[in-house]
Amino acid sequence: MLLQELNKFLQDEIETLLAPVADTAGLSNLVKEALQKNRPDPGVSTVAVRCWPLLPLIVCDTICGRYEQALPAAAGLEMLKAAAEVFDDIEDADNAESLAAKYGFPLAVNTASALLIGAERAFARLYTRGVDSKIIVSLMDKVNSYYLAACGGQHLDLSLIPAEAASEEMYLRVTGMKSAFAAECACYTGAALAGAEVELVQSMAEFGHNLGMAAQIANDIKGITGLRDIRQRKITLPVTYALAQTNGEIHRLLETTFLKTDIKVTSPPGLISDTLFDCGGILYASFKMEVYKQRALDILNALELKDIQVKPLRDFVA
Amino acid sequence: MKSPQLQEMVRKIFSDEEIKSQFITSPESVLSRYSLTDDEKKAVRITHTRLGLASSGSVQLEAAVKSLLWWD
Repeated sequence: MLLQELNKFLQDEIETLLAPVADTAGLSNLVKEALQKNRPDPGVSTVAVRCWPLLPLIVCDTICGRYEQALPAAAGLEMLKAAAEVFDDIEDADNAESLAAKYGFPLAVNTASALLIGAERAFARLYTRGVDSKIIVSLMDKVNSYYLAACGGQHLDLSLIPAEAASEEMYLRVTGMKSAFAAECACYTGAALAGAEVELVQSMAEFGHNLGMAAQIANDIKGITGLRDIRQRKITLPVTYALAQTNGEIHRLLETTFLKTDIKVTSPPGLISDTLFDCGGILYASFKMEVYKQRALDILNALELKDIQVKPLRDFVA
Repeated sequence: MKSPQLQEMVRKIFSDEEIKSQFITSPESVLSRYSLTDDEKKAVRITHTRLGLASSGSVQLEAAVKSLLWWD
């Protein structure tokens, strides 16, 4: 199974799904731009090895040795995630490169709507791959459940006041709902379409959940080292740790930066980053990232004992 | 899943120079004082070996993070 070949088949599936808008070049280009933002360049670097839209296909192939039946679903999940990102950018209004910032809200909303409808089409097209209609309906229900939960996570993210969002418990809840769910859903989908037993489908979903949590914490650490999340005053795992475990001057500095968002911050972002390193926030987040990575690997180790060849999935955990 | 004991251990490492030195040279001696889960103990050992104290500007930390950033 060549990854570049998988990418090509997936692109072909997406082209087919988007055929009804092919004549409307403007919309077609915006949909492609939204999908591209969400996808690493498949032709270069090691990132191609872990190109996430391929996850359902790789899981399916790992279990049953075929992936063709999962192609429409993989395309549908890619479109759903791209739609979610477009909406997220509209809601957060914090990304100068977003479709909303570049082309305006109406065109961005229409693009996200096209992606959502294209995704529905994708799942309906599973019948062209010989998937039983009961499995299709059950899968659509499950995928919609995941994405409804993600809307719940997004609602919490948008509506919680900083003091409510600053606990680790809330951070983990929201992250599971609005970030880790996507990898979990992708793995669930691949396993379900491989015809796996319930237990194996559940193991793959858990693998995806742990992978997604580790990836989000990695993103949190990058958000601190690159200063992005500090500038946006975003409460992430290193921050929840630091707010809970510091006191005195350091705590006041962090409180002003992340909790008192009505006050203008005067401290340089580099100082806040250093503070999060110096109080152990980054080390703590690194430990937690590794916990989730190891859980994902433990699941793969257990599957390997059952003679399931998990090597391509190991590459996702690095 | 919250990790109160792991939080407490990290807080101690970064607020007590003696504990920090012990953790750097012999992580087990510090680990054994806390009721960490097996998952947490394994993660601490692996992270200690790969990243040390995950200092600012650490090339190893950057690599560890980058390896998981395929998702975004």
